[in-house]
Amino acid sequence: MFPKPIEKSSRTWQLGYQALLPTVMLLWLAPLLAVALFSIRPDSDFLVGNYWGWPSSFEMAKNYGMVFGSAMPRYIMNSFLITMPTVIGAVALSCMTGFALGVYKFRGNLLIFFMFIAGNFVPFQILMVPVRDLTLDIGLYNTKTGLVLFHIAFQTGFCTLFMRNFIKALPYELIEAARVEGIAEWRIFWFVVLPLMKPAIAALSVLIFTFIWNDYFWAIVLTQGENAQPVTAGITSFNAQFRAMYHLMSAGSIIAALPPVLMFFLMQKHFIAGLTLGAVK
Amino acid sequence: MRSVLKATAVSLATIVALAAPASAELTGNLKINLDTSNPAPRATMEALIAKFQAANPALNITTNVIDREAYKTQIRNFLSADAPDVLTWYAANRMKPYVEAGLLEDVSDMWADGTDIAKELASTKGALTVDGKQWGVPYTYYQWGIYYRKDIYQELGLSEPSNFDDMLSNCEAMIASGRKCYTIGNKWLWTGAGWFDYLNLRTNGFNFHMQMAAGEIEWTDPRVRETFANWGKLIRMGAFIDDNQNKDWQQSLPFMIDGSAGAILMGNFAVSPLREGGLTDDQLDFHQFPAITAGIAMAEDAPTDTFHIAANAKNKDNARAFLAYIVSADAQTEMNNGANLGQLPVNSKASVDDDKFLNKGFEMLSSNSPGGVAQFFDRDFPAEMAQAAMEGFQEFMIYPDNLDDILDRIEGVRKEVY
Repeated sequence: MFPKPIEKSSRTWQLGYQALLPTVMLLWLAPLLAVALFSIRPDSDFLVGNYWGWPSSFEMAKNYGMVFGSAMPRYIMNSFLITMPTVIGAVALSCMTGFALGVYKFRGNLLIFFMFIAGNFVPFQILMVPVRDLTLDIGLYNTKTGLVLFHIAFQTGFCTLFMRNFIKALPYELIEAARVEGIAEWRIFWFVVLPLMKPAIAALSVLIFTFIWNDYFWAIVLTQGENAQPVTAGITSFNAQFRAMYHLMSAGSIIAALPPVLMFFLMQKHFIAGLTLGAVK
Repeated sequence: MRSVLKATAVSLATIVALAAPASAELTGNLKINLDTSNPAPRATMEALIAKFQAANPALNITTNVIDREAYKTQIRNFLSADAPDVLTWYAANRMKPYVEAGLLEDVSDMWADGTDIAKELASTKGALTVDGKQWGVPYTYYQWGIYYRKDIYQELGLSEPSNFDDMLSNCEAMIASGRKCYTIGNKWLWTGAGWFDYLNLRTNGFNFHMQMAAGEIEWTDPRVRETFANWGKLIRMGAFIDDNQNKDWQQSLPFMIDGSAGAILMGNFAVSPLREGGLTDDQLDFHQFPAITAGIAMAEDAPTDTFHIAANAKNKDNARAFLAYIVSADAQTEMNNGANLGQLPVNSKASVDDDKFLNKGFEMLSSNSPGGVAQFFDRDFPAEMAQAAMEGFQEFMIYPDNLDDILDRIEGVRKEVY
């Protein structure tokens, strides 16, 4: 089923491939390139209609300086303060649920597992109004804590699925051997299973980090203002009453996109592992 | 050093105390939600609030600035959930849903006959009245009208049109010179609504326009058709730039700056980007939208931004004091000057900044708008009605021959909305 390697096809195919590949790549990257280009243009370029031509001057320092001089650092800080606890919380919880569901055989095990999975099939938009009312009633509306708690609750479903399947694939003999030695269950979890889960934990952390960092929907539903909003929602603060500041919004988006991109490059191996873990036995 | 600071604070406080109507010093809390998220308006508001703070050092003020567009979707949410004491919003129909939902405080007491507010802000009282009561106070407004390239008009020997025939003949000359008469970016619909407002105000007058806004007139009425017939004349002669339904208003400005279009119907906020785009005050000028039907009093669009008190506010006395402060002549003069909002103060005792376009706008609104002051199509007409009608305008500007269809559709919506 694998595609035939390009070296094995005829010369014409290879030429066509070599010509098409850069074109398609350019097309695919066009929006990103446009944003990058917009972020170094002066404001006046937009006023005179120079959207795609050569920038009339390079204002990289000025634009990015203005972004850092605005409330953006605050929003980025918020993003970290929301993303980090969520990653830690969701991964910690799902290690435990995954262990319980993967190792112990008890009545209702499958049912509970299915309920975790079923939660993933609920389109989160329909939760908008109830969740907003809920956070309001417990006094967590417009706080980072409220957003973090909701994200943890919602992400734990997917994380549990991931962890449970990973633990299930571990050799059960390891746990039995430990039990024969008379080791307490929590020590088995801590000293036997957890070290084996390191690749899964790393992969899941990277995945959840990007999910939460890029969340826009809940950010605008549950928070308002710069005390709690993450950067995805804060980026529109460059929109003026009458005018959209395309150059500043572009510069802001590039900065906002850096952490997940960096995360991806640093943890590339884990990221791909996260996507394919359990896909092939 | 400390004493110097203290002295400054005291003198500042005295200045403010003199400027604002003196009242007992306020205590407690005051929570303010602002949608003035642009750097300049934001700084203006923060400076004014700082002065209010200096005058009332014991008052604990928290200010929450929300991006203007996000604010529009959040307002209902925070008014019911986490109500501020004072908030910014817009006059007329834009505040009506919140008034009807019982989310805004009745401030008719502040507008009572004989008060300074009643005397100095009379021009916008109507825009803040629903069911005979007032629900907020205005802090700024700005004129709409035609901004044009004076240098191009001079080159072609044209002058400011004083009636519709002049407007059409000017336009013919512009088209003959290979240009378009008017640039417009109608992607987000409101720009086309500006054209409808003016054509209807000039063809049928202010009262008719307001009757339409109240849903009392059918969209298929022959008088409405007359408005569209005038609009159609401009569209069919090619007065507007091509492909205007795909451009936002900012994307329509380059046509004005490079001279491929001669004019734009827009609010005063267009001046600053046009200047930044390289047009000098010698090249750029302003004129009132010319008369169409002779004998009809001129009326203008002047959207008004307002301050309100939330019905669920916890500190209504402090909020009232803040509203009184923000409408005072001094506060309005300062916040509307060119370095700050760059708009017109509503208070008749305030002075206008020395800016060519602000002066022209102030003169027009104060002495040459006897017919009345409208807010703007999407503020005067109910939201659903405005949306359907503006979609119709956009289609009409591209396919003027679909008029019957379009009017039937809008009329259908009118029957449902009112």
